[in-house]
Amino acid sequence: MHRIRRLSVALTVAGVLGVAAPAAANATPLVTISGATSSYPLVDLLANKYVKLHPHKVRFKITQGGTTVGLANVKDGSDTIADVAQEPNGSDAGLVFYPIAKYAICVVTNKSNPVTNLTPAQVTSIFTGKTKTWSSALGGATASGPIEVFTRTSVAGVLTSFKSLLLEGKSVESAATEESTEGQLRQAVESAPDGIGFLSNYQANKGGLNAVEFNGVACDQATAASGQYQGVADFYEVTKGDATGAAASFINWIDKSPAAKKIIASQWILIG
Amino acid sequence: MMEWLRRPWPDHRAERTLGAVSLFVFVVVVAMAVFVATKAWPIFQHNGLSWLSGGGDLESEINRMTVATTKPAAAVYHLRAWPLIYGTLLSTAFALVLGLTIAVLASVFFVELAPVRVSRVVIPMVRLLASVPSVIYGLIGILVLVPFVGQNLITTHERESVQNVIQLTGAGLAVTVVILTIMITPIMIALICEALASVPPSWREGAVALGLNPLRAVRAVTLKAIRPAIVAAAVLATARALGEAVMIQMVSGGKSFAPKPVDGVVFFFEPLRTLASAIIDYHDGIGSPALGASVYAWALLLLFSAFALSVTGYLVKLPLRKYQTRG
Amino acid sequence: MSTYSPEAQQSGSVPGAPSGRGSSGRGRRSSPMSWRWGDRVALAAAWGAGIGLCVIAAAIVLYMGYRGIQYLRPGLIFTHPRVSESGADSGGFLDPLIGTIVLTVIGIALALPLALASAVWVAEYGRPSWLARVVESSIEIVAGTPDIVIAIFGLAIFQLSLFAPFSFTSQGGGVYGNSFIAAGAMMSLLALPPVYAATRDGLQAVPGHMREAAFALGKTRITTIRRVLLPSVRSNIATGVTLGISRIIGSTAIVLILLGATLRIETQGSVPGIDLLRGTGSSLTTYIYDNSPAGEGGAPQKAYAAAFLLLVFVLLLNLLVDRIGRAQASSTGMTPIGAVV
Repeated sequence: MHRIRRLSVALTVAGVLGVAAPAAANATPLVTISGATSSYPLVDLLANKYVKLHPHKVRFKITQGGTTVGLANVKDGSDTIADVAQEPNGSDAGLVFYPIAKYAICVVTNKSNPVTNLTPAQVTSIFTGKTKTWSSALGGATASGPIEVFTRTSVAGVLTSFKSLLLEGKSVESAATEESTEGQLRQAVESAPDGIGFLSNYQANKGGLNAVEFNGVACDQATAASGQYQGVADFYEVTKGDATGAAASFINWIDKSPAAKKIIASQWILIG
Repeated sequence: MMEWLRRPWPDHRAERTLGAVSLFVFVVVVAMAVFVATKAWPIFQHNGLSWLSGGGDLESEINRMTVATTKPAAAVYHLRAWPLIYGTLLSTAFALVLGLTIAVLASVFFVELAPVRVSRVVIPMVRLLASVPSVIYGLIGILVLVPFVGQNLITTHERESVQNVIQLTGAGLAVTVVILTIMITPIMIALICEALASVPPSWREGAVALGLNPLRAVRAVTLKAIRPAIVAAAVLATARALGEAVMIQMVSGGKSFAPKPVDGVVFFFEPLRTLASAIIDYHDGIGSPALGASVYAWALLLLFSAFALSVTGYLVKLPLRKYQTRG
Repeated sequence: MSTYSPEAQQSGSVPGAPSGRGSSGRGRRSSPMSWRWGDRVALAAAWGAGIGLCVIAAAIVLYMGYRGIQYLRPGLIFTHPRVSESGADSGGFLDPLIGTIVLTVIGIALALPLALASAVWVAEYGRPSWLARVVESSIEIVAGTPDIVIAIFGLAIFQLSLFAPFSFTSQGGGVYGNSFIAAGAMMSLLALPPVYAATRDGLQAVPGHMREAAFALGKTRITTIRRVLLPSVRSNIATGVTLGISRIIGSTAIVLILLGATLRIETQGSVPGIDLLRGTGSSLTTYIYDNSPAGEGGAPQKAYAAAFLLLVFVLLLNLLVDRIGRAQASSTGMTPIGAVV
């Protein structure tokens, strides 16, 4: 009786180990991606399409956290790829930047705000805190009351790109409210009648917000692709050293495959 | 081997095994202190104890920590976390004072003044309030109270008066304190009601016989008799308030700003950040050396406060032992 | 101390029949109109606080009920959530619901043996006594530790390379540290104190003659515990477990920090069962958080629906605790253990 029980326990253990060992050896590789919240929708769509077209080859785990967090994770090895929405700078030695798409940065206001156009000087002075109230001095009808500036936390690549492209390199005032993701910045401006902020064109053109013309040029896919709009930046996929293995195949696929190009062209701008 | 395990155990083996298993909890507590302190060490190493004080701009210090990734320079570890400590103290103190007052008054009402039928219905409802998850309180706060305060209670003039320093969105000290009070009051009511009900009625009747009106009798006799329970309730409520992270993160405005009492009414609308809500805000930066050490340092401070709180409660109750009611 | 001045007091305040409530001498006690002004204010404040609290409690429950009925559809409970930018097609919350259930099961499964062993040892053995005090204090410290500190501690532990099999290691060597087992293990620390306290109180309340009868029959202590005492405190254990479950399903901080924040349950590895333990997911609480304006949430309706469901669970658990307490009181005649908050 006891011998049977002992035997059955031993068999079960052997069975589990027997299944587990070869199964573990055949596990599909896992590619972890983290970084920008602005390129997350794009990378998520691309990854899903890739997995659909190449089943059982690779698994993706995509988180966000902001461009800087993604870069840090790739540098210390906890993630394979970083989604980055800003240009490489001096502290990114050893990392390889693969551009995958272009995006436009739009200045956005609440839907109830009738302002339609802002000059670069006005944008700079609003975001740096020099202009504090909505008034007709901004050219035409605007909302009224104190301007509520919304910006991103310092980990955001969109913020870095916004500062260099549309803000003449200056910094946003310290009194501005910082939101940690694009979705939250969008929500904040949607619910504040006196609010102003900046978003990638994908978020800005979802409806529910007013995307202001910058220097007379509307902010959308068409003007960004034609080069008319000034605030266009790149999305990068970044790896430590050259990409290898599953990550390399994925980045190659984004670069070359027509299916990937179709996804990029739907809401964003193709590279080159 | 299986036989040895299946035969009835002698008492000494059972005692040793059970004792060893029980000590596992002690090991967990020690591990908690050791691990959190070890990971927080870099902050103490570079700042000494002065990271508890103020003077720096906390937001830019955290920004610096976030962008510095591997092997940061010593200057990156510079931290002055006083705004967080101040925010924690402010919200907890207000909520405790408000909550304790309301709890004592309401307990007296339920036990002494209300008709029995009302109390029988309401006390379970109050106990239910105590077990509502904090995220639901946060949800009601952020979807109902914050827009209400932002749109109806904050005037444009008030907004403009602090525009150079901070933006008022409705999420801030007032909503935080209100919801925190609602969260901790049921805990205190449960404990105080139980204690009130266990005071022998003859004590109160003696006071009434001497000529005090019933409310005075309660104040003079019963409340003094349940002082240990009030202390216990206050300690429990403070512990809950200190550790409340998610709800506060949702309604406090998320800016490491120290609200200034000199601003008058606007003081109550200014955003703040507490130690616990800061941990939630920055926990995904825990991989970066400097920011991770800061997060662990805040957790260590919370752990230490919780521990100090229980010890204080125990010490405060010691001299009150002689006033303990029977039963 | 209030000064006793006979002239200032009404002479009609003779106490009536004694009772534990404030109704003693209600018919003949002094009318508030004759009290000092301060006392009248205090009376009004007590009434105000009591009524105010009732109103707030009712308001919260009714508002959540109203919103919940407005937004909760049975389909939501059984649909997987989908990542989508707008609230419309983001699916239901089946995965968060399963996540909550899995976490509860893991938490209770880990907490129950530990709590029972500790309670039995402290109540029945407990030698040397300083050791028993150490165990009691440790459990009290765990009970008083904020959830967020327990979550951070869990992160510190499960990101050690020793515990890499419990989550996964990413390329480059960093241990992720987030998984169901990590969150579940910390949840067990949440559930431990209620189960321990309820079991220990129950064991201490068992009358001595039951043990003596068993000893007289020649049973060892451990057999007495197994066969006589533990079965008799079953309802106490049930109360403790229910309170523990209530704490687990309400916890958000631990799930946010230790469960990987993936909308759907994503398994890790390929051994069935173990892959769920090592995988990441979300719970009802983080689903609510994510769908509120504090998270990505364009979907407050989904947040309300999930919150209503959560509230219903908490309500049912509370009723269960009351029901167990009443059943125990009527069957054994012993006072039920009140709800330990």
